[in-house]
Amino acid sequence: MKTNLLIFLFNVFTQITFSQLKVNYCFECHENIGDKVAESFKKDVHKEKGITCAGCHGGDAASEVLEQAMSKEKGFIGVPKGDDISKTCAKCHSNAKIMVKDFNSILPRNQYESLVTSVHGQLSNTGKERIVQCTTCHQSHGIVSVKNPTSPVYPINVVKTCARCHSNATYIRAYNPSLPIDQLDKYRTSVHGIKNSQGDVKVAACSDCHGSHDILSAKDTKSKVYAINIPNTCGECHSNSQYMKEYHIPSDQVKKFSKSVHGVALLEKHDLGAPACNDCHGNHGAVPPNVESISSVCGICHAINASLFSSSPHKKAFDKNKFPECETCHGYHEIVAANDELLGVSPEAVCSRCHKENENPKGYIAAQEMRQLIDSLENYEKYADSIVTEAEQKGMEVSDIKFKLRDVHQSKLQSRTTVHAFDVVKFKETVGKGIEIASVSAAEGKKSIDEYYFRRWGLGIATIIITIVVIALYLTIRRIEQNQSK
Amino acid sequence: MNINNAQMTSVHESKRNFLKYIFSGSIVALFGSILYPILAYLIPPKQREVIVSNVKAGKLIDIEKDSGRIIKFGRKPVILIRTSKGDLKAFSATCTHLDCTVQYRKDMGMIWCACHNGKYDLNGRNVSGPPPRPLDEFKVIVQGEEVFITKKS
Amino acid sequence: MKTFWKKYYDWINERVMLDDLVEFMGKKYVPVHRHSIWYYFGGVSLFLFIVQVITGILLLLYYKSGEETAFESVQYLMSKVNFGWLIRSVHSWTANLFILTAMIHMFSVFFEKAYRKPREITWLTGILMFFLALGFGFSGYLLPWNELAFFATKVGTEIAGAVPLIGKPILIFLRGGEEVTGATLSRFFGFHVAVLPGIFTVLLGIHLILVQRQGMSEPLGIVSEQGKELKTMPFFPNFLLRDLLLWLIVLNIIAILAVFFPWELGKKADAFASAPAGIKPEWYFLFMFQTLKYIPAKLWIVDGEVFGIIMFAITGLLWTLVPFWDRKSSRGERNRLINYIGLLIVIYIIILTIIGWTS
Repeated sequence: MKTNLLIFLFNVFTQITFSQLKVNYCFECHENIGDKVAESFKKDVHKEKGITCAGCHGGDAASEVLEQAMSKEKGFIGVPKGDDISKTCAKCHSNAKIMVKDFNSILPRNQYESLVTSVHGQLSNTGKERIVQCTTCHQSHGIVSVKNPTSPVYPINVVKTCARCHSNATYIRAYNPSLPIDQLDKYRTSVHGIKNSQGDVKVAACSDCHGSHDILSAKDTKSKVYAINIPNTCGECHSNSQYMKEYHIPSDQVKKFSKSVHGVALLEKHDLGAPACNDCHGNHGAVPPNVESISSVCGICHAINASLFSSSPHKKAFDKNKFPECETCHGYHEIVAANDELLGVSPEAVCSRCHKENENPKGYIAAQEMRQLIDSLENYEKYADSIVTEAEQKGMEVSDIKFKLRDVHQSKLQSRTTVHAFDVVKFKETVGKGIEIASVSAAEGKKSIDEYYFRRWGLGIATIIITIVVIALYLTIRRIEQNQSK
Repeated sequence: MNINNAQMTSVHESKRNFLKYIFSGSIVALFGSILYPILAYLIPPKQREVIVSNVKAGKLIDIEKDSGRIIKFGRKPVILIRTSKGDLKAFSATCTHLDCTVQYRKDMGMIWCACHNGKYDLNGRNVSGPPPRPLDEFKVIVQGEEVFITKKS
Repeated sequence: MKTFWKKYYDWINERVMLDDLVEFMGKKYVPVHRHSIWYYFGGVSLFLFIVQVITGILLLLYYKSGEETAFESVQYLMSKVNFGWLIRSVHSWTANLFILTAMIHMFSVFFEKAYRKPREITWLTGILMFFLALGFGFSGYLLPWNELAFFATKVGTEIAGAVPLIGKPILIFLRGGEEVTGATLSRFFGFHVAVLPGIFTVLLGIHLILVQRQGMSEPLGIVSEQGKELKTMPFFPNFLLRDLLLWLIVLNIIAILAVFFPWELGKKADAFASAPAGIKPEWYFLFMFQTLKYIPAKLWIVDGEVFGIIMFAITGLLWTLVPFWDRKSSRGERNRLINYIGLLIVIYIIILTIIGWTS
């Protein structure tokens, strides 16, 4: 067995080395008998490089005698089956000496390793071989360069190649029942997909985002499409201003996103709940959200804000003026954590951009009032906090008051949500609750501090009383003893 | 001499009385300052004592099916839910996201946090929105008519 | 005014013969000499015990024993009940001062050799009361059911459990099971408020009656120094009023300690939490705790810890029985050996307590 293998390897090696010089009799015979395989091999990149049939199948291509050419002694192996297919390819493609020295190729030589460790390298349902072999995507005979428009992995074609399996419900179900099969359909609705179907090879196809040989599950932290890695993956193209030039779109989205509240949460805090590019723009159906759909995109997570906004007077006005909904106030890629300064009529607030004091006084006053309300809640909370902290530092038991302060915090959070209804009365109600609790807490905190001083005063008075008793007692004792000694 | 002596005695006497007054007065004050805290201590405070091992949540017949209520459990709020099937469940009512107090939403059949639309299913699991982990569960015990909530041990 | 009080005095006197008592007290004299100051520590200890009884009863009004309620009820007492903080802090501070003054009282009696005949029983009851006081401290420490107390009790009962043969049953008896649980708390509560006070009161009664019957002991040397004519002062009112004066000062000190250094409650005990760093017993157990740390794990064939416990037990027994083996003092002769032993023990306790405290 071992010797057989050695002979075989030796033969393959010698044949590859000398096949360039030799005539390919296999091909000639098979072409003559009208073998379709030979026909497709005609345009194969391997044939162009002078590799004979024996390069993969073994045997002696230089021998005209059929029995000799296809004899086991000459190392003929017939048609490789299962994992042997990929191994046959890897014999050369993973070998630096052959690839670089003999063929002067710059192709990466880790394709086989990548494939084996990728999601496609798992065992298939038969348990005998991996799911995907090289030939699954590249074909067996008639393999051409990826740059050749006829290649099944050419950007225009690769989507169909992947879809052969991934759009086949029966096939996919056997491996991953939860995996959708509509990626191609969705892709065709996306900007990428439309341009791709128009023959634009620069736009992203499957392999641009998912990788080629090294495709990993989206749940794998090393995957190019793992949530945290997505901004980088998209940025490979979208951050390249040169590359984006002809599409006339900016190339600073990733940079802006990284600084945004979402970007910081995702990229720095590794909070997988925070949105990456695809959560707003879609995965396979990647399109920029349009004016009306923004609030529904943001509303996936910010549901209450979105619904409050939709029932607010702003909805109609924004639609009429074609203002993008959330974006008008919050921006888009560079969304910073919203703070109270957004509200009101101060220079950094957004309300006064439309609600000018003289042109639109009603909205101006409402904005001003709401800002005053939330500022006063903030001040009340700070005040209550400082009182309670002081009481605590004085060693008083304030855990009850601290429990109450939680409600102030809650009312503050809620008011920041309620504000999206742009209804002063409703807003006042939410803020008012917080202010009331804060003032009650502050009063209790004050009582605690008073209690602290009361204790010290009480001690002081008691000490004075005791001292007086002690002195009086001392004098009494002296008097008694004086009387006794008389 | 006699007068002088009498004077001396009266001065002596007044000094003696003064000391007596001071002494008895300060003793009264001393007892006051000891008894005052003790008597004040004996008066029970307005707020009832905290019993946190278990809390009476009310009568079973008063708790409607498909409803939820917040019950003060010591210093923490607890949400008691009666499902549409009639099962009783109790969870800590503090949202695991930013400590708001959650509520039961009949229309969703879920526990819901008003602050950021966090949702939990009726097993306390965080199913949507920002909450990072499930709500802590409490045990519900029905004794005859009464419903009690206790800490899960 | 006089007649008013006289009427009531006469009424009682007719029935219980108060005159006899007043006469007895009037005849009682307290020796005055350069060591007289030590006589006061017994009285101060008595006063502190009375404070403990009063504040202890007050605490009972709000304290709820039990794993789920003990901590919470103390927290409630501290934060909600009027002057609850004061009562608890006074109780805690007084507990410590009581042990301190009792210790001083004990050592002064030891150095004065006041235990010698005929006061052997007074000494014995005193020593037993001191051990009970340590029991009070140990059991009371657990009652708030906080983290420190929980682990201190765990360690303390474990040490008791290391005693050969009887150790394990003692541990089970103290803990009410294999582990420190709510059952332990119930037991300690029972010991603290019922068992110990009952025994203590009986011993205290005997102790006080004996002190009154026999009067204060005169130190051996003083008699020869001053000759036959000893300087004295009447017990009533001179000594008693001085006692009162000191009690008031002590009361003020307790109040100051309670207000400026309120006793902390800490975190609630959690059996599953890991022990907090630097867990230490109360200061009066520190010297023993520290000693056990220094004894190597194995001494010949005996366990180091067991050896330490046995040594402490023997020392304690010898200490208790000192009136019976110190024959010289009983005969009225000087016994310098006792002084050296006592001094050695005092220095040992002070040094190890300081090491334990600072480590």
